[in-house]
Amino acid sequence: MNDTHEVISAFLDDEPFDANALAAALSDPEGRAQLIDLLALRHVMQPGRDAMAAMQPKKSSGLRAVLAAAAMVVALVGGYALGQRQSESGQAEAPPATRVVDAPAAWQQSPPGGLR
Amino acid sequence: MTVDPEVLFVANQPRLFRYFLRAVGQIETARDLTQDVFLRVSRTTVPQAPDGEVRAWLFRIARNLALDHHRRHQRQPLPVALAMDAGRPPSQEVDAAVNAALASLPDLDRDVFLMREMAGLGYDEIARACDLTPDAVRSRIHRARLHLRSQLAAPIATRRTIPMRHSGREP
Repeated sequence: MNDTHEVISAFLDDEPFDANALAAALSDPEGRAQLIDLLALRHVMQPGRDAMAAMQPKKSSGLRAVLAAAAMVVALVGGYALGQRQSESGQAEAPPATRVVDAPAAWQQSPPGGLR
Repeated sequence: MTVDPEVLFVANQPRLFRYFLRAVGQIETARDLTQDVFLRVSRTTVPQAPDGEVRAWLFRIARNLALDHHRRHQRQPLPVALAMDAGRPPSQEVDAAVNAALASLPDLDRDVFLMREMAGLGYDEIARACDLTPDAVRSRIHRARLHLRSQLAAPIATRRTIPMRHSGREP
């Protein structure tokens, strides 16, 4: 192992490095090959998107369902309570008619069961 | 001003997961250990310190959990299966080779390397998390890289033929 090329790791990792040491390392063909290989190694090490997507626990969809159910219960209870309050205050009664239509003189009551 | 453990955890969850993913080689275990870090953090007082120091403290906890996991499982070889994107390297074979190569590293070298490569910690943060000097961190990271380079020569040679980015992310 060539410890003189540690500067390549420092460069790759965006850590402070001695530019002259890096120049010396890269003047060596092995140093240049190392730089490229270590970059490729970085790519090889990366987990796939599927693995990263697995970071979120599957429980989250269950949690979402529980939250949706809770929201529905709150809405139902809230709606019921509001309805109760309105009926107690009499606001649930039908408003007075704004127009009254008089029946014509020839008006006749239909027999029970409708027209035949 | 106190640090909210939940805020701290959410900010560092991806780093922790990535670290555990390669440290233990199993998605489920990595997820469980990430949650374990949160449980430990939520039971204690987060030190009032700059971000880097707090992150080092967090990863000290993570490293202890990973070491406990390895002790419980008596350092079995890292498992093969890690779900990877289909149709692009690293394939599952490459993944198995990566895990085997990581398992062949000394514990400290592997942890130092993974904290840098997977979690993106700086040398100072890693030094604090592992009780080392930044110079020792640099040496160990480089040594680990050279070891992995020799162990993973074939996948590295393949990867060299594909466009790369400095960050390691896909172009």
